[in-house]
Amino acid sequence: MGETFISVLIVSSIGAGLAALLVISEMFIANYGACRISINDERDLTVQGGTSLLSVLTAEKIFIPSACGGRGTCGLCKLKVLEGAGAILPTEEPYLDKREREQNVRLSCQVKVKNNLRINIPKELLSIREYVTRCVKIEDLTYDIKMFRLQLVKPATMEYTPGQYVQLLTPVYDRSPVEVYRAYSIASDPADKGIIELIIRLVPNGICTTYCFNHLKEGDEVKINGPYGEFRLSDTGAPIVFIAGGSGMAPIKCILHHMENTGSKREAVYYFGANVVKEMFYLDLMRRFESELQAFRFVSVVAKPAEGETWDGETGLVTQAVQRGVKNGAICEAYLCGSPGMIDASIKVLQDLGVTNDRIFYDKFA
Amino acid sequence: MKQGPEVQHLDMALRSSTLVAGGFMGYDPRSVTEVIDTDAGELFRLGVTDKELAARMKEITQKAADAQGTWVEIDPDHEAQVDETRGATACPWRHRGRYFKRVTTVRRKNSDETIRWSDLNTHMVDAHGFLEGKGSMFRIEPAPFVRMLF
Repeated sequence: MGETFISVLIVSSIGAGLAALLVISEMFIANYGACRISINDERDLTVQGGTSLLSVLTAEKIFIPSACGGRGTCGLCKLKVLEGAGAILPTEEPYLDKREREQNVRLSCQVKVKNNLRINIPKELLSIREYVTRCVKIEDLTYDIKMFRLQLVKPATMEYTPGQYVQLLTPVYDRSPVEVYRAYSIASDPADKGIIELIIRLVPNGICTTYCFNHLKEGDEVKINGPYGEFRLSDTGAPIVFIAGGSGMAPIKCILHHMENTGSKREAVYYFGANVVKEMFYLDLMRRFESELQAFRFVSVVAKPAEGETWDGETGLVTQAVQRGVKNGAICEAYLCGSPGMIDASIKVLQDLGVTNDRIFYDKFA
Repeated sequence: MKQGPEVQHLDMALRSSTLVAGGFMGYDPRSVTEVIDTDAGELFRLGVTDKELAARMKEITQKAADAQGTWVEIDPDHEAQVDETRGATACPWRHRGRYFKRVTTVRRKNSDETIRWSDLNTHMVDAHGFLEGKGSMFRIEPAPFVRMLF
C-alpha cells in the first residue's frame, strides 16, 4: 500500500509539473505581447496581439464591413496591410485577385496580429460608428419576414445614404457562443430621424435571424454599426428599374421614401416578385408611393398563386415580367437587390433588353 | 474509440454554433467518425455511394435553381424548389471554399413528404461523407433521401 501511495504521488507530481510547464510556456509562446498598428501613417494603436486584425480594430471601435461575422466567407473586410502580415493564407486566396495581391490587400478577419503592422483604412470607414439602439417595434410582414424598428439612443441620429446597410450585433445566446455581426440594408424613411428599420427574413439555422425571431423583444437594446455600402441611387435622372423580392425590398423602400421626400419626378418602376400571394407585403405602402410619386409604377408579380389564393396581378417569374414590361432598356438604370440567383437571372434579362453593365447596380450580399 | 486531436477539434467545431445556430450534430452523442462510418454503411446497404448521392443532390439543385424559387418537376412523382438567402458559409472542415445559403427542397407530389438540403450539405456529403448528426436541422437521413432521389 505504501508503494501504491508513493506511485500515485509520483505520477501526480509529474502531472502537476507538466501542467505548470504548459501554463508557463503559454505565457511566452502564445503571447505575442503588445503590437503597434500604424493606420494610414497618421495614427498608431497599441494592442495585445493574438487575435485577428478585424477583431482588434472592432475592439478599438474601428468598424470594417463584414457580412459573415469574421468567418472568412464574405470577403468584405479587405484592407491594405503594407507591412507585417506575413504570407497570404489559403483561406484568403479565393477572395483576392492578382491586382489586390500586388497592392497588399488582405482579409482582415484572417490576418492575425502577431507583430507590428502598417495598414491603410479608407477614410470613409474611419467615420463608421457604433450605435446603441432600442428595439421599439417588431412587425410580422409575412410568415418568415419581420420588420424591426430600432430607435437610435447613442448617438441619437445617423447620417446615411438610402441604399446603405448596417451591421447588427447578435449577442451570445443559447444557439451562438460568440457575438457575430450580420449585415442588413436600412429600410426606414430617412426623414424619420433617429429611427433605423430593418427587414429581416428568417434563415434556417441562421445565427442572427434565429436570435431576432426567437429572442429579441420590443424594448431590448440592440447594437449596430454603420452605415456601409456603395449601393445608392445615381443622380443621372435616367429612368429606373428596381427589381427585388422578399427582404431585398429593404434598400428599395428606403430609396423610394427618399424620392418621395425630395419630390422626385424621376421615372421609376419596381418589379416585386414572390412565389405565392402570402409572400407579398407592403402593398398598401407601394400604392401610396404610386399616388405620391409622379412617375412611379409598382408591378407585383406572383409566380403561381397557391390553391385558395386570389390574385389579379401579374404572374410568372419576376424576370418574365421585366421582359414584358421594360421597353426603354437602352436608357434605363437598374437597381437590383436579392439573392445571387435572382440577380444573375435579372442581369441576363436586362442585358437582353439593352441595359448596359455600367448601368446595372446590385446589392448581392453574397 | 479514441479520437486523435484533429478529429476531436473537428467534433467540437461541428457541435458548436460558430458557423450555424445549433451546429451540425444535433443531439447525436456519437463522434463524427462514428456518424460518418454508420451512414456510409447505411448508404452501402441502400446501394448508393456518398459521391452518387451528392451528385444527384447537385443535379437537382441546378435544375431547380433556374426557376427562381418556383417548383419544378424532377420526375413524374417529385418536384423541387430552391430558396436562396443572402450570404455564404464556410465548411466546418475549414478548407478553402464558400457555400451559398441556398436550400433545395424536394417533395413527393400529392403528399406532405419532403426532404431538403443546403449547398453546404451537398459539399459535406461529397467531400467528407458527412450527413450531419441525428437531430440536426439539416440531417440527411439516408433511407428517405435515397428513396426520393433515385
